[in-house]
Amino acid sequence: MTQSLPPKSLVLYADDDPDDIELVSEAFQAYSSDLELMTFSDGIELLKFIESIDPFNASPCLFILDINMPRLNGKETLRRLRRLDSFADVPAVLFSTSSLPADADFAKNFNAGFVTKPLHTNQVHHIIDEIIQHCSDNVKKNIGKGKDSAK
Amino acid sequence: MTRKALSLKEFIDLPQLLQFEALHKNAAYVGKRKNGHQLVLLFQLHGYYVEVYYERYRKTIDHIVTTDSTEILQPYLEQINIGEFDDKKKRKNDM
Repeated sequence: MTQSLPPKSLVLYADDDPDDIELVSEAFQAYSSDLELMTFSDGIELLKFIESIDPFNASPCLFILDINMPRLNGKETLRRLRRLDSFADVPAVLFSTSSLPADADFAKNFNAGFVTKPLHTNQVHHIIDEIIQHCSDNVKKNIGKGKDSAK
Repeated sequence: MTRKALSLKEFIDLPQLLQFEALHKNAAYVGKRKNGHQLVLLFQLHGYYVEVYYERYRKTIDHIVTTDSTEILQPYLEQINIGEFDDKKKRKNDM
């Protein structure tokens, strides 16, 4: 029996702010042996991408959705994702610079996490860890292995 | 449990790390702008505004400005979701 290496888990991140995309991409480099971060400028681009992928080949393990985006905001993107059978149960996080309780409640209602964007350097890695905690246990186990072997 | 709103004076008197924590936990984001090489984020916290001036975006903070004057909104006004309002108006007209 041949066993191929498992593909990297895909994290799909939609945000219209290039500075935030750069910040998150940089922070995700610490996980690059296990996670592949793909970025999109809004919800429409992200939805277009997932409609085009074969779920048997590559399946996202996490969606990170900025709330305030033009064309299709993070909340509406999340609502649409939850209507798609293949992605209804994939972990998701609404990611916002504001910490409005109404947005946190919205995320909860759609079985998603809510994470406020970092304000300063001490918070950046903590917040990326907080986001990754929303991945499935299987993905988190693999990330742990990757980090251990990298030591 | 209800959380007591932090007054402007109480916020100013807080150590910087606690100010950041209060912003991170309770503030509403208003907008972002450039000021020379610095990026500036504006937040509303309770009844006042806090601008955070970054040397390195979301990493190194140069200084913050707090005020209860709405004049601080001026440079951000053009950016506050005018596109979204236009989209909504367009959708309404299309119906």
